[in-house]
Parts: sequence; C-alpha cells; structure tokens
Amino acid sequence: MEEIYAESTYLLDLSNIEYIPEIIYKLSSVLENDDIKNKQICLKLGNVILNEAQLLSIKSLISGFDSSLVSLETKSEITKQTAASLGIKITDSEQNEQIIQKTETSDIRTDEQVQSEIPSENVKTAVSLEVDAARGSGTDLDDISSINKESTVKTTEDLQDELDVIFNSNSSISNIFQAETNEKYAPREELTDIVVPKEEYTKEDIEIETFPTKYIKQTIRSGQVINYEGNIIIIGDCHPGSEINASGDITVWGVLSGIAHAGSAGNEKARVRALKMNAIQLRIANCYSRRPDSLNSIFVEKTDSFTPEEARIINGEIVVFKIND
Amino acid sequence: MAGKVIVITSGKGGVGKTTTSANIGTALAQNGHSVVLVDTDIGLRNLDLLLGLENRIVYTLVDVVEERCKLKQALVRDKKNQNLCLLAAAQTRDKSSVSAEQLKKITEKLKKEFDYIIVDCPAGIEQGFQTAIAGASEAIVVTTPEMSAVRDADRIIGLLDAAEGIESYKLLINRVRPNMIKSNDMMSVEDVENILSCKKIGVIPEDTGIITSTNRGEPIVNNEKSLAGRAYINVAKRIDGEDVPFLDIDEPQNFVEKIKKLISGLKKQGKE
Repeated sequence: MEEIYAESTYLLDLSNIEYIPEIIYKLSSVLENDDIKNKQICLKLGNVILNEAQLLSIKSLISGFDSSLVSLETKSEITKQTAASLGIKITDSEQNEQIIQKTETSDIRTDEQVQSEIPSENVKTAVSLEVDAARGSGTDLDDISSINKESTVKTTEDLQDELDVIFNSNSSISNIFQAETNEKYAPREELTDIVVPKEEYTKEDIEIETFPTKYIKQTIRSGQVINYEGNIIIIGDCHPGSEINASGDITVWGVLSGIAHAGSAGNEKARVRALKMNAIQLRIANCYSRRPDSLNSIFVEKTDSFTPEEARIINGEIVVFKIND
Repeated sequence: MAGKVIVITSGKGGVGKTTTSANIGTALAQNGHSVVLVDTDIGLRNLDLLLGLENRIVYTLVDVVEERCKLKQALVRDKKNQNLCLLAAAQTRDKSSVSAEQLKKITEKLKKEFDYIIVDCPAGIEQGFQTAIAGASEAIVVTTPEMSAVRDADRIIGLLDAAEGIESYKLLINRVRPNMIKSNDMMSVEDVENILSCKKIGVIPEDTGIITSTNRGEPIVNNEKSLAGRAYINVAKRIDGEDVPFLDIDEPQNFVEKIKKLISGLKKQGKE
C-alpha cells in the first residue's frame, strides 16, 4: 500500500487489495490519521468490482473524514462505469503517474509505517464496522427495500375478504391465479420516499413497557412454538420453521429465521428486533410480510459482524430498519 | 369431472417421496391440469421448501382441519405455475392432528376443484400413512434399488392391498444408477419389479441436479436438460394416460462406450 502526500491531494494506492471490506478498512485506517483532513483524495484500485452502493459508501466514508474523493483509477470496467454514473472523475494510470512524479518530493510514508499501524491480526475484528458500511449499502439496503417491495402487507381481514371474493365469485381457478399475477409490487423508487413519521409516545408504548418479559436462553428449533402474553427476549437463534408469538415486542439476540408475530393481541406499536433479520414471515399486529424470494438462501452465514435490524409498522406496512436509522 | 387423488408413498424415508410429489405435480400442472399438492408430513414438512413456497404459508392443513380458516385460504399458489397449488402441513404439530376421516373430507372437497390431488405421504406405516392414503384412489410406491427400500415397499404394497379406497398402485423406481447395474452392484429395474411383482410407472436416474434444485426451491422438471427431470415429465404423462416409452437412462460414460452405443442403436434401427 502506498500513499503520497501532496499539498491538498492524496493518491491512495489500494490496487493490490482485491477484497472490498479490506479496502474500506485500509482506507478508513489511513483516513483516521489527523493529517488527512480537508484533502482531495485520488483512489487507485485494482481489479476490484464495485457497485454503485459500494462506491457511494466509500465516498461517504471519505467525506466523513472531512475529505473528498475527487478521482478514481481502476482496472475494472464495471467500476469505471459506476464511477461515471456517480460523477466521479476517472483518471488513467499515466496521469496518476504524473501526479506521483509531482508529489514524489514531498514526504512519503513508507509501507512499514502504515503496516505498523494496522496489525494484521486485528483486521478481521476491526473491520466489522466498515464491512457493515459496505454491505449495508451493497446488500442489506437492497434487501430491506426488496422486503418492502415484495411484502404484500394486508391485514388478515382484508386477506380473508379478498380470498372470499375470489372464491365465492364462482370463478374458475384460473381467475384466482390471475388475481395473484396481477398483484404488482410497489416500485423501488417509491420506497426510497418512505416518509418516516415522527414517533409519538402513545399509551400502546406504555402498554408494551408494562408487559412482563420472558427471557429465553436457548436456540429455538424447527417446530418449536413460543407463545407469551408479554415481551420475549431470546438469547440464541430462531431456526426456520420455528414460531414466536408475543403480545409485546420480540427481541432476538441472534439470527431470526423463523416466523415472528409481535403484538399478537393487536398492539401496532410492537416491534421485532434481531441481530440478523432473515425471517420467513414477519407479523406485527394485523400486518404480515414475507421474505422476498430473491433472498431464498439456504443458510445464513455466521459472521462476527451483524447489522441489527428492527421491524415496525409505518403507515400500515411492516418496514425493516437498520437499528441506527 | 371429479379429480383423481394419488398418494405418493414409500414406507422407507429418504427415497424421494417429496421430490417425486413436487416434480410430478409441477409436470402435471405444466401439461395444463389443475393440480393441488397436499403435504401430510405434519411436523416434518418439506414440500413447501422444494417448491420455494416456504415464505408464503400462512394457514396449513391443521388450520383447515381445526376450522381456523377455510380450505381455499390455506391453498398456496405456485410462483411460476398458475395451475399448481400447495396445501402445506403444519410444522409445529404432529401426525395425530389430522385423522383419516378429516383428510378424506378435505380431499373430497378438493376433487371438485382440481384435476389431480397429489398427497405426499410421510415415512412409516403408522397413523400418518393411514391418514395419507385415506382419501386416495391411486398410489405410487416410490422405491430405490436397495434391499431395505424394496422390503419396505413390499410391506407398503401389502398395506395398500388391504386398504379400502386404493384401486390401483404403480411402482416408481428412483435413484437408479445404470453403471452400477451393469457392474452387478445394484439391483436392476427388472429385479425390483420381479421382487415386488408390481408394474412400474417410471424409472428415475440418479441426478446430482436434484440436490441443487431442492436447495433452490425449484422442481427439476423445470430444467429440460436434466435426465431426471425428463423422466419425471414422462411419469406425469403416464399418469395422464399417455403411452410414453421408458427413457433410456443408460448414459454412456466414456467416448468408446458412446460409439458402441451409437453403433448398436444403428443396428437396431436397421433390423426394424
């Protein structure tokens, strides 16, 4: 890794790194030095392919340190295209070499110095936050929006009415199927415009707070059902096929992959929280949403880094937030 | 016309009942029939996974039986195939939740709406099996060319003979490996037929694609390149009454064998 100091521009050479979280980690560890502030940064990348969201997160990471990303050099055509679409200047290697030549005279930090600052053993643990930043915008955000996109949220009554209409109208089966296929999901653009209303503290919130809380310290496996009048806290994973019903909140300190029904008695302020939200179905009060088909993964990769998420009802729909949103 | 109720059973577990149900159901639906798949493996349901419908299940067979919802509310439509429906089993209950009479009532209702009702039977010969076969008029006994599976299939055929409603049953031989048969390491399809003295309705070759298709939640009949997929499509056609010749599952392994097979095929044609 190589970084060259100029008056106000930096060339950061990360071309030998091919792993996105590592790039972000190295980048942030360099930026953390107080010297690099209010500077323009030229980033040199190798064959790494970055999508729009990942590049944006890198950009915001840099701007978070009061610096700005002015140009990008990359070997990957895809990254070039995304950079172009985001309006980031793309430089050729020759041009950068000129910059290097220009800045060669100024003090150059050696690799060793940088290395000593980044003990490689710590890379994995320290990387967590940045990985989340990258993943969060790369995959999780997509996931969240796709959950919204696919979640056909209806109250159970509506659902029943609709089904009744479909079946009682003496229609043949083909009509029923027609109804399903005509069901269009909200396009993604609309979702980015979700207005999160300012939360009001209502008596329903107080109700949840006064509920008793059940504390369960075990893995909930397929076929197991937990019903409780109150809040449930589970220390452990909830496997697919399990079911948790609570009249208050459900908090899972682990991966939630089964079905969770919070506010089962009708409290719409109830929430579902999990370190990793992978629930097949989420139900809150009378709303229901299902996991998008695109997320049909066989298992959840267990990593040290999680993005805790929380599901709650907003305007009659279940929305999954990252906990820090 | 009232629909046909076909139960897919085997006795032994892991021989491919659920895979067979999912694939035959999908293939029949693709042929334009309206099909409903009924999972009776309560507590160990898998059929929804194979069809990739796990996230859509709200009500189950047990909810219908216990009258928490209407039958039609519990039917989950397939993502791709508009003719296919699934009636899932409850995961959080056990086999005693549904009795034979109750399932029979449900299949009677379904008969009015669908051309084919495919019942996926649980492993074993206990109550779950008795329940599953209650409403069925036809049965497909799935077995593999292994002694243990064939023994269990024999036991099942005996029970099917004694059962009242079952009018006919056919044998489906799954996971056949032609190369092992050639080297006399596996029973041949004819051997299995002879031991069980039962007509076969299909022979499905071993296919690694089954594993990927199960994991993805997409039946293998959607993959036209797969030999097992084509074999299942043929089984569906035979159920439908078509006379389809059995697929040549003997895939030549190396170049020399391929040439040999080609020549023998040409000779056959010449004689005809």
